[in-house]
Amino acid sequence: MAVGLTHYLVLAGALFLTGTAGVLLRRNTLIMFMSIEIMLSAVNIVFAAYSRALGDLSGHVFVLMNFAVAAAEAAIGLAILVEIYRLRRSVDVDGLKTLME
Amino acid sequence: MESALFYVFGALMLAGAVLTVTSRSAVNAAVWLVFSFVCASGIFALLSAPFLAILQILIYAGAIMVLFLFVIMMLQGPELKDERARRSPLTLAVQVLPAGALAVTLLAWLARGGGAGFGGAAAVTGTAEAVASLLLNRYLLAFEVISLVLLVAIIGALSLGRKEEDKPWR
Repeated sequence: MAVGLTHYLVLAGALFLTGTAGVLLRRNTLIMFMSIEIMLSAVNIVFAAYSRALGDLSGHVFVLMNFAVAAAEAAIGLAILVEIYRLRRSVDVDGLKTLME
Repeated sequence: MESALFYVFGALMLAGAVLTVTSRSAVNAAVWLVFSFVCASGIFALLSAPFLAILQILIYAGAIMVLFLFVIMMLQGPELKDERARRSPLTLAVQVLPAGALAVTLLAWLARGGGAGFGGAAAVTGTAEAVASLLLNRYLLAFEVISLVLLVAIIGALSLGRKEEDKPWR
């Protein structure tokens, strides 16, 4: 059976679910960030797969945009994380309730 | 050959992602994530996107992961405290429902005999030249906007990283 669009979509779906599981089940903020990167990566695969299926390179341009967004997100997110660690000496999400109280 | 490579890279990438999510130590998670991203680069290569394959290695497996490892190094030792997983019915539903939907879709698709390749669509190779000509003509505005996003991210990270007493909002 030749590998087609659906194969790539199923792979991306499974990756996205793995990432969601990480964000929902882990409490270490660093690993939650890595899970978000996994989800962004899954989206990139969908873009590239449709680009291949439709014979149009626009999808590749949007993967590039996604790379930039992922880099910006990692930079800001990790800066916030360092700041939280300075204040609380922990990166566990359980302690982060200040805005709720 | 292409099918075999897809299954190898796909399985390894998924395995890397699962190990990232389940790792106890943040350093292990980061290393598995690098592994997963290298396999993603293989997937891009199979999708006739060599430029993206190289960028995936340079940006993700290179720059972003170095950033992660630096922060891990700054924050804590490799071992995490014993963490309890949060398990509420809602969390479980959010996990199980999409996974079930994916499985049902997959089974229905397999029951119909599965698709045959890309249905004869011609492969357009995403070389650096081809992608760049799209990026700098048709998507020039998006390109400029994304550079603004990166600029804002740099400024944000710098202002967050200042000493406490130098913060503008203090």
